[in-house]
Amino acid sequence: MQGMETSQVTDKAADQNMEEAMLRALRLSDPALSRFDPMRRIISFDQFSKGYAGWSQLVGNYEDSLDTMLPGYAQHTSPMLSTLSHWDAGSHGGAGSSYALKIATRPRIGAQNVAIKRHTFRKRGPIRFETYFTFKPEASELQLSETDVRSVGFLFDLQGGDSDQDAERVMPHLRFLNAENGAHLQKWQYKSQTSDFTAVGGSDKTASHYHLEPSGWLDLPGGAQRLCYNEIPTKVNWSYLRFDFDLGDMKALAFQCNDREFDVSGFESIKIPAMKNLWCMLNFAFFAETDVAKSAFLYVDSVCISGDF
Amino acid sequence: MLPESHTAIVARNEHWTGLAASPPYECGWAREAVFFIRALKVPEGKQPDVSVEISPDGMHWVPEGTRIAMPSAQDEIAVGRISNFGNWLRVRADFDDGASSTVLVTLHLKA
Repeated sequence: MQGMETSQVTDKAADQNMEEAMLRALRLSDPALSRFDPMRRIISFDQFSKGYAGWSQLVGNYEDSLDTMLPGYAQHTSPMLSTLSHWDAGSHGGAGSSYALKIATRPRIGAQNVAIKRHTFRKRGPIRFETYFTFKPEASELQLSETDVRSVGFLFDLQGGDSDQDAERVMPHLRFLNAENGAHLQKWQYKSQTSDFTAVGGSDKTASHYHLEPSGWLDLPGGAQRLCYNEIPTKVNWSYLRFDFDLGDMKALAFQCNDREFDVSGFESIKIPAMKNLWCMLNFAFFAETDVAKSAFLYVDSVCISGDF
Repeated sequence: MLPESHTAIVARNEHWTGLAASPPYECGWAREAVFFIRALKVPEGKQPDVSVEISPDGMHWVPEGTRIAMPSAQDEIAVGRISNFGNWLRVRADFDDGASSTVLVTLHLKA
């Protein structure tokens, strides 16, 4: 009997090796997917020449009146499908097609905008978030304007399942702090605290917190990185980003941008008590923030989200 | 695949006074567009016409030619239909002193 069990284990390992080899070969032979390194199952693969793919405006909570929405959310607008069209050079286009998702802030110092995609998860295990992105300010001056974009970044908004004993709402945030008050800082930061919750309306059903308020960002250890910026405000270069996160113990596993892999052992997520209506939540968001009275643009060429299940 | 169809909220609960405009919206993929402008509250004072504007770059704007009367009552909706607009769209209104409106401006696009 022991021999049979050993044989079954060996067969399973062989099947797994075969599957991994086939998946790898199939994905590497697909020019669109070969730019990514997805985990076993692809949760979503978004190329913006095919539409918005569920990336929408992050609207704030409200009840009875839109006046109850927190100001941080009230400033948000809808993302666009952009050809990165510029006044001097025409359409720049994306990395893999003519289009990219564009997240534009209002032209006001400190203005932010967020685009979000909302899922739920079916397995609390490792997931991988990969994207090709770039950013620029509006090209309204004949200047390089390299310190006009304050930051671009992404966040997850997660909560365990309704039968989990350890369910919390967990929100990993990472941003590239490009500049602040005119200083070109170029470093990755994370956030482990959010603002206080505010009750919205009078029914006790809705509350709101603006987790992207400017305070509370912490430097990721070793997180300084000089990204390719190019030499005028209408030339952009695409950068690769990968963030691995374990939905099981709700911890960051790995973070890579272009050729650099960063140590995430000190990374912390925002953690707050589970909310009564967000079970198995699996949300992904991109955001942009301007440092000057000029719109900041975050462009996302494509996104591949995968999971180990 | 079905042609893309998209609703963008370009101004939500914004209090328009003086020279007011929606943020630039890049939508060169769309062949047709409809703007709806709904007054969320009772408009104050004389309500101007809204002009649809187009742009070569999202920064410099010219009238497209469509003019729509702003809603004159709460929850009234103004409508403008546009085609052949290039890559950028916005709406703009000039309010006299003392006039204002709180608006929801939505842009409906089809490839």
